[in-house]
Amino acid sequence: MRAALIGAGSIARQHLGCLKNMRGVDLAGVCDLSAATAEAAAERHGVREWFTDHRVMLEKVRPHVVHVTTPPTSYFQLAMAALDAGAHVIVEKPATSTFEELEALTRRAEQVGRVLVENHNYVFNAAPLEIARRIESGELGAVTHVEARVCLDILGSSGFADPNSPHPALELAGGAIAEFLPHLASLAHRFVGPHRTAHTVWTKRKDSVLPFDEFQAVVEGERGTASLGFSASAQPDAFWLRVYGEKMQATANLFETRLTFDGPRPVPRPLRALVNGIDEGSAVQRAAIKTFFRKFKGPCAYEGLWELLGRVYQALDRGAALPITTADVLAVNRLVEDLKPRERRT
Amino acid sequence: MKALVTGANGFLGRHVVAALLARGVEVRALVRPVVDVEALAWPPAVDVFRADLRSARDLARAFDGADVLVHLAAAVSGGEDLQFASTVTGTERLLEAMAGTDCRRLVLCSSFSVYAYGDAGRTLGERSPLHDVADVYGRDGYTVSKWWQERVTRRLTEKHGWTLTVLRPGFIWGRDHAYLAALGQRVGRHHVVIGPLTRIPLTHVENCADVFALAVTDPRAYGKTFNVVDGPGERVWTYLADYMRGTGEVGWRVPVPYFLGISAVRLGFATVFRSATKVPSLLVPDRFESRLKPLRFDNRRLREALGWTPPLDYRECLRRTYD
Repeated sequence: MRAALIGAGSIARQHLGCLKNMRGVDLAGVCDLSAATAEAAAERHGVREWFTDHRVMLEKVRPHVVHVTTPPTSYFQLAMAALDAGAHVIVEKPATSTFEELEALTRRAEQVGRVLVENHNYVFNAAPLEIARRIESGELGAVTHVEARVCLDILGSSGFADPNSPHPALELAGGAIAEFLPHLASLAHRFVGPHRTAHTVWTKRKDSVLPFDEFQAVVEGERGTASLGFSASAQPDAFWLRVYGEKMQATANLFETRLTFDGPRPVPRPLRALVNGIDEGSAVQRAAIKTFFRKFKGPCAYEGLWELLGRVYQALDRGAALPITTADVLAVNRLVEDLKPRERRT
Repeated sequence: MKALVTGANGFLGRHVVAALLARGVEVRALVRPVVDVEALAWPPAVDVFRADLRSARDLARAFDGADVLVHLAAAVSGGEDLQFASTVTGTERLLEAMAGTDCRRLVLCSSFSVYAYGDAGRTLGERSPLHDVADVYGRDGYTVSKWWQERVTRRLTEKHGWTLTVLRPGFIWGRDHAYLAALGQRVGRHHVVIGPLTRIPLTHVENCADVFALAVTDPRAYGKTFNVVDGPGERVWTYLADYMRGTGEVGWRVPVPYFLGISAVRLGFATVFRSATKVPSLLVPDRFESRLKPLRFDNRRLREALGWTPPLDYRECLRRTYD
């Protein structure tokens, strides 16, 4: 299957690194407005040709799949061009700036018989997959509530709050935090289903170019409730996911490999807390060691992206069901739309 | 003559601005939008142009009336992609803007990091081999971005028929910038000194700035590449002792012979880290060599081609750094 990528900076490294290691994928083209960025990506990842004009690349390479990894406000136009060129599209999140644009893209995909997949990578990290497995097996019981909270210093050297060169994400409603809403929304959607209502609080704690640096939401889903949050000030950096089941609770840090379960034990009730504590302690130690060693190789916290891409390509190859359907993408983005701040702040 | 200086408020840039003014060159200092230029106490003659090379829309205006570009801007920290975007894409945008102007000369601040240390003989000179495409992407973000910056600059120079001088400084040091990666590994207050007798390719920031000013004004520098070092370099052990004396830091210096260090790293890499893709720099043989390999350095080409000698000797550099 011929793959091509538009937007060779930053997250593109993870897409290309994954595709390079995927059997049956021909990395045929990479495109960036910066010739140096495109050429460097092609050399680093063994891509056959590089381009600075996506139209030329689509015409010449005729890719089966196009990855769109440019800054978010350009996704719509590029994804549409890729669909028009007859390619399936895997687009970074948030897939579009507005829900109307997303609907237009999905309609176009349906018309041309191609698929549009938005990257919901954290749903495919090992921890959420294991939690989902325990839900499906009945071990965890029905989910009553899910918490997903990102603590990330986007005010520091990440580039989001650089006053010299405004980050493209600042053009989105909610600013830099908007880049993380699809992560939170996709996890809520995975564990409690499509949402019915959402209530949000957007605030700003620190002086910076960001319109907001804190976010909280309470969501009512079809199968339970969710509380979602983002903090640029709470440290250390972490992505906490907690799923409350009727039989068991699961806690994971998606930036690391930590995953613990607190549930019933085949021991007398007074000993349950003790056994759970010992078990949780050793799980945390094992995860810390695993997190340390995985820094030396592979995608680290982007493990879910690699897993997702593997499943998408396999599904496309076999004509099987996709790991993320159009209905999923639309449902997640309906929630994202409701999570956005009502008014823009500068 | 008027020079447009990028990165003008940086550690080297501040001194380059002063050195150019001292040689009677007019300066337009290109700084990022929120830089506090008041703190730099530049004379009123310095014309400040505010722009960020990554995103500014009208960079061509910065070249109005400029005869030569002195391109110092580069990211020295941050993730690999951020460094590439700042250093390489920024250079690409700057030079594309220059192509539409009357400015046809440039002096680029490159780096010793572009050299393939492992392939160098006993002496590292301007003719020593550079990294090639096959191995450069295994290096750290700074090396990749500086290597690419020089590559982009040479390509666009050739395309537009400009005159280019490339200066490759060794370790630039001076006040508040005296602790160098070449010193080995700091462990708390103490220092593991790998190859204590290895010489460091040093250039004090004021000496280095003097070379840039000379390269701007001296036609003998046109079209040439020079390594910038003050001389053969101090030994790591001596420099570190001077550093600790100068800063008042207290700690042990633990010497480890270079061949022991590189042997341990090679062994570790061949066994534990062979399949690893992300390993700390000091544990990768190629990167270990580029920081610590004992080589000889000299500034013969600078001396012979431009008649340059460092204005400040090592003692004076120490005084200006630590007193």
